[in-house]
Amino acid sequence: MTELKFVFGDPRVCSGCMTCSNTCSMYYYKVISPERARNRVLRIEPALDFPLFCRNCEDAPCIAACPEQAITRTSKGVVIVNNKKCLSHGECVKACPYHAIRIHPDTGKAFKCIQCGQCVDRCPADAIFMTTERELAERDKDGSMRGLYEKHREEIYDKEEGL
Amino acid sequence: MIHGVGGKTLWIDLTRGVIEKRPLDEEMINEYLLGAGYLSRVLFDNIPVGIDPLSEKNVLGMATGLLTGSMFPQASRHVIAALSPLTDVWGESHAAGFWGAELKFAGYDAIIFTGASANPVYLNIRDDVVELLDAEDAGVWGKDVFETDDILKSKHGRKIRILSIGPAGENLVRFAAIMNDRDRASARSGLGAVMGAKKLKAVSVRGTGKLTVADPANYLKQMDVFHKRMMANPFTPGRIKYGTTSLVELMQHIGRLPSYNMKQGVFDGFEKISGDAINEKYLVKARADFSCLQRCGRYTAVRTGPYAFEGGAPEFETQSSMGSRCGNDNLESVLFGHHLSNQYGMDTISLGATISWAMEAWDEGLLTGDDTGGIDLSWGNHETVVNLTRMIAFREGFGDILAEGSARAAERIGRGTERFVMAVKKQEIAGQEPRAQKSMGLAAVTAARGADHLYAFPVLDEAGFDDEIRERFGKEYLPEMADRLNPKYKGIMVKECEDFMVMVESVGLCKYGTQIPPEFFYNDIALALKIHNGLDMKGGDLQIIGERIVNLNRLFNARLGITREDDCLPDRLTKDKAPLGPSAGEVVELDLMLDEYYRERGWALESGLPTEKTLKRLGLTKEGKEVGLL
Repeated sequence: MTELKFVFGDPRVCSGCMTCSNTCSMYYYKVISPERARNRVLRIEPALDFPLFCRNCEDAPCIAACPEQAITRTSKGVVIVNNKKCLSHGECVKACPYHAIRIHPDTGKAFKCIQCGQCVDRCPADAIFMTTERELAERDKDGSMRGLYEKHREEIYDKEEGL
Repeated sequence: MIHGVGGKTLWIDLTRGVIEKRPLDEEMINEYLLGAGYLSRVLFDNIPVGIDPLSEKNVLGMATGLLTGSMFPQASRHVIAALSPLTDVWGESHAAGFWGAELKFAGYDAIIFTGASANPVYLNIRDDVVELLDAEDAGVWGKDVFETDDILKSKHGRKIRILSIGPAGENLVRFAAIMNDRDRASARSGLGAVMGAKKLKAVSVRGTGKLTVADPANYLKQMDVFHKRMMANPFTPGRIKYGTTSLVELMQHIGRLPSYNMKQGVFDGFEKISGDAINEKYLVKARADFSCLQRCGRYTAVRTGPYAFEGGAPEFETQSSMGSRCGNDNLESVLFGHHLSNQYGMDTISLGATISWAMEAWDEGLLTGDDTGGIDLSWGNHETVVNLTRMIAFREGFGDILAEGSARAAERIGRGTERFVMAVKKQEIAGQEPRAQKSMGLAAVTAARGADHLYAFPVLDEAGFDDEIRERFGKEYLPEMADRLNPKYKGIMVKECEDFMVMVESVGLCKYGTQIPPEFFYNDIALALKIHNGLDMKGGDLQIIGERIVNLNRLFNARLGITREDDCLPDRLTKDKAPLGPSAGEVVELDLMLDEYYRERGWALESGLPTEKTLKRLGLTKEGKEVGLL
């Protein structure tokens, strides 16, 4: 069982306020713009708000997909994009099953959540948390939280939507 | 250059189908900010006198505030205004949600609609691409609010944010709402009927742009301070737990819960429609709007029975208007009625108040089955409340008369039913029985849009905000100002609250967090405008702007003939003593409070209109001349 960290959230608790996305686009790009946040928030009726982040897959398909080897994993286990190497092919975007890596509209480079935790600290609903697969299994013993992601996967990971 | 805005406004001529993009008038911001202030100016300049609000000559404005889309707590709001088909005077309404922020991300701060389309249309905005599309081709004309949301999302993408009218707006119900994000309502003033008359079904928006801020280096640090204050406020946990629903219990406790068409301020069945009753059995989730930390939005479900539904509902106002006001303690019908009102797009306050007017007339024997087509209007008949909700939205049978609102319906029916109309300037009084809180009675008559609790939202005497009163007014105003039954100083309080609240509506913030709880005041907002927009304004500057907006709203109404004579309450509230409960024996001492209010405003006591000195001080002499005051 891997110990790789990632941010995850409970769509039953998340209020949909987008403080995580606003924090992210401000922290990294000095603007407010959900399109420029490294995560996404999607409201799905009835009453679910999905805060969506990079899942930090052990066998991260984005790394393998990049023809420029611009995506690597650091010693701390974080998957990062080297902007100097990234040539905006978009292969990583296609490879990611979670639509968690996208092309930034201003820089043209791939960008994704790097588990910095800035949003976790600011979530007013305490809906999101830094976790690992092992911890998540412990926290979500009955699988009901992860089950919602599974149930709605077609909507929440749909890349045709743009965001 | 101003930061934190879309930077453009859209001017849509629906008659000719012409779309014009104009740069945001930054000079106007110095005098009116954006949001409510911007619309007060634009509509004063563009709505002719003597028009039918449902004609093509009416102008419908939608505007975001300066902080809408920012990280300031609850910066989610937009304002809609036009000449009201319910009151025939200034009409204005506000809502939260995500639509306002999305409009800004698309690059626009406001939309002004003129004229009327020959065929049903909707405005679709995708960043730079703005187009009027055929609403019949798209299959949304004739559809309810939820269906419209679903259809436009499947057509334009899941991330699109939709504002629309439902059947009530299309059918020109005079208290039709404009809905956004499914269950957020710009409900009051009947602006949904203005959209319906213009054959404008919806405004769908997708914005992929960004808001730059004036002080990026300190932005998060300062917003963290605001966020921590909001989260630490003692009101916040209760707001999260109950939204506004627990106000039923609080208002019963002070005798301010309108019951039986405002005959009284207490209701025996209050516990059955209370916040706790909702939480116990029906609450699914508390949800938020953009940048909202308090998440007062309720998402509820009734799982079985005739009132089964799932969706965004309710607010205190609906518990009061469709519940206690109709003598109705059937909570499932109240929740379902609210849901239906969202679906059809109606103001639940005017809806419940109009039904309760009819119920009292029935109780008095002034309405019979011959009038209602056999519908039984007995107090507490929850089936009638729900059935009439449908019938009003579609103007079926007796619903057609009620769709005109209680004042017009009473005028048409006559027989003495007029005395049961609980309205000011033809808009129904909201869920604040004013004999139990005098400031609310005054606020209802001074509000520009007719009976209204929100224009001033004078709650400082409601829940023991003595510290805030001391800070904002001075200790010499205590204890009278804090005493909800004492009319003294209420004119001063309502004036101060109006100035502040219209300013809050001009920056796109919520009244929760600014007025109740009174966590953020002028100086906090000035600081937010500095780091977000780069505006260099002091708290005092913002207060003057608020005052200017209130005066311009008053001039808008004065031009239509409104004077002190129109600033009146139903006789029941000023002459009949409250019969029961903790405020028994009270009446609203309106004239006393009005005199104080006009003096404080610098308005003439006799006419209730601004004096030359006041107009000069606020830079409104040209407008005063136009209205004939100078």
